[in-house]
Amino acid sequence: MNLVQLKRQSWNIGIIVLALVLGLWRINQLPQFGAYEARTFVLGILPIALLSMGQAIIIIGGGINLAIGAEAVLINCLSAKFMLNTSFTTSVLLAVFFLVVAAAIGALTGWIISTSGIADIVVTLATSFLLVGVAMFVMPQPGGGVNQKFSDFVAGKDPNFIPPLIWLILPLLIIWIPLYRSRLGISMYAIGSNKDAAFLSGVNVNRTRIKLYAVGGLFAGLSGIVLTGITLSSSPFANISNTATLNAVAGAVLGGVSLAGGVGGLVGPALAALILYFIPNILLAYGIDPSYSQIITGALTILVVLLGGFLRRRTGKK
Amino acid sequence: MATNSLLDISSIAKSYGPVVALKNANLEVQPGEIHALLGANGAGKSTLVKILTGVITSDNGTIKLHGKEIKFSSPDDARKNGVAPVFQDPALIPDISIQRNLALTGTNEKRFIAELSAMGIKVNLNEIASNIELPTLRMIDLARALTHDPELLILDEITAALPVDLADKVIEIMNVQKKKGKSVIFISHRLAEIETICDRATVLRDGINVDTFTASKGSEERIVAAMLGDKNNVKDAKKAANANSQSQSTFVEVKSISGGKNLTDVSFEIKSGEVLGVAALEGQGQDLLFEILAGEAKPDSGEIFVNGKKVSFNHPADAIELGISLVPGDRKSALMSQRSIRENLALTRFRGISKWGRIKTKDEERTVDNAVSALQIDTRAKSQVKRLSGGNQQKVTIGRWVTTGFDLLLCFDPTRGIDVGTKQQIYDLIRSFAAEGKSVLLFTSELREIQMSCDRAIVIYEGKVQATLPIEKCDEENLMNAAHGLVGTK
Repeated sequence: MNLVQLKRQSWNIGIIVLALVLGLWRINQLPQFGAYEARTFVLGILPIALLSMGQAIIIIGGGINLAIGAEAVLINCLSAKFMLNTSFTTSVLLAVFFLVVAAAIGALTGWIISTSGIADIVVTLATSFLLVGVAMFVMPQPGGGVNQKFSDFVAGKDPNFIPPLIWLILPLLIIWIPLYRSRLGISMYAIGSNKDAAFLSGVNVNRTRIKLYAVGGLFAGLSGIVLTGITLSSSPFANISNTATLNAVAGAVLGGVSLAGGVGGLVGPALAALILYFIPNILLAYGIDPSYSQIITGALTILVVLLGGFLRRRTGKK
Repeated sequence: MATNSLLDISSIAKSYGPVVALKNANLEVQPGEIHALLGANGAGKSTLVKILTGVITSDNGTIKLHGKEIKFSSPDDARKNGVAPVFQDPALIPDISIQRNLALTGTNEKRFIAELSAMGIKVNLNEIASNIELPTLRMIDLARALTHDPELLILDEITAALPVDLADKVIEIMNVQKKKGKSVIFISHRLAEIETICDRATVLRDGINVDTFTASKGSEERIVAAMLGDKNNVKDAKKAANANSQSQSTFVEVKSISGGKNLTDVSFEIKSGEVLGVAALEGQGQDLLFEILAGEAKPDSGEIFVNGKKVSFNHPADAIELGISLVPGDRKSALMSQRSIRENLALTRFRGISKWGRIKTKDEERTVDNAVSALQIDTRAKSQVKRLSGGNQQKVTIGRWVTTGFDLLLCFDPTRGIDVGTKQQIYDLIRSFAAEGKSVLLFTSELREIQMSCDRAIVIYEGKVQATLPIEKCDEENLMNAAHGLVGTK
């Protein structure tokens, strides 16, 4: 790794260090640390980490999806309803089917944005209402469930923390890395960075955007199914989807993705989810009121992003 | 003649709503020819290039390549069919590395490096494009176009942002293409380049091709006449510059300013009612010098005196307060491109109004109308500044300070990429400021323009003022020699 590349990774390195420090701090608070606690950590961040990754892909491509949490909630409800009392094989097949549905919802969102020319933020705000509405239609109250074997397949049989860890890392390996290296990946950075220049370089801007929203939707779908596997149920509530969406944006930004588009990756957002998980838990362990802990989390997020922006400006300007 | 032409464009028309960009444009290019495409800003050159390369579609007309009618669906399509454009704005994606930019256009990396090193340029392919300086980016764009082995290379204003040595490289490359039997369409405002390099020239005016002729020595006058129609004549500027009476009081004095990588020890003074020219090669720190004077950047050391009093600026507002205003080189950074001419012109008027006071609309309208007519701004697209031509945008950036008032205007390359007619208007404007007793500090990348508009010139080289020249000595040769550090008349 030469110096230029090292500099480019500086944000990720910072995030890793921060996650490690907070992680050690949190571990230090616990009476003991073993597989059970590790599993709790991973399960705590897995849905939101996947959602942050999906949001990151869309933001890198110069968009934003305010319906990404709603998409996850919808898939959560669909899977909890239809997977209830099914065999393991059926559950897996259904999971694959719902992932396709999630990608299709994403693609449709991207298509609407591209053909209408209406801003992402407006279109996805509207679809977020729509999708939560559908979710409430599917699951009028919290409930549903899933085959226990399928749950173990996703969340691991306590205290086995390996399966959820695999579900965290696998999407990075089999979706993100090939995407980054593909022409679609370069086009993603291109349209996020400068749409006109991308067009002049031969990128089909609309088609790229649709594909990115589809991949984002796929991650939202993964998040929804993982949530079903972890909680063995579903909750069709708008406040859950909205919080999830905003946390996904926070995770992406904290993970080094620029809201202006064209900058960042997916490893950062995955780690940022860890940081966003540790902070309130550490504070809670000190007996600090949860409302204070919200304030502190917010302030820390601003601080980290500020610091990152400051460092970036210093390294960017020669 | 048209039987074996490489490219034959006929009767192309294009309108954007009520604004007609092209009425009836025709262009014919032979194999192995360097063909200049000329015209004032807004004449339709860039639109024609965009239609040819599939960026936009025409309303009417046909394009034939090798006698076969074609219509490219995108620049990529054009590139694959042997028509490689280098557009006016850099086409590299700013946030990704050069290597990934090459992958995006399917450019062969080895050939690209070969083309680039033939130009004498070395680039770290891992570097992010936005970290690379503009002139180098232009050359990278060019090298990328060349690797596609184009039958027809289109260079839109490429030399405008290039220092002399790189501009010479571009010319060399065009000649190599010609020797290979390939053709080049060359768009430039630097008329001196046209007559020495190009075989033929086509001049557009108001969306119609008005003249096509074989370029040779002395074509310059014919080009200008065709471009302007019967509007006016460039030569008048010289007279204006020389007929000047200036006071002897010093307005701003700069002492031993240093800063950044380039400025080490710059000292000079600007008198009231004087237009002081600044000449320098690319990257001598002239941009930083302007930023320092405008209060946008801080010098590492050195002093600035205004009316004999020492000052230090923390913010551009401090400089504006003392009457020093900047017209930046990049128009986009000065304008609110989505807003109207009126709002852009009135932006800086708020100084005189109490913070929470109401803006007097009538009053504002009057001031703005005065500025618009004084500057002869074309108001056909007044609702959004971004729809104005480059020249008119530049007039708006200057006009803002006309409505506000100033004592020293810092003009950084105000005529870059602007047509002759508008250049003339801008220089007239600058002279009229001087006649009113105001001062102007003018940097221009076109050396011959210094003699057309300034009273005196300084040349910056290696961080110092290499020479201070009276107007009689400001010919291109003297300036060029000083800019290369060859003479010093300090």
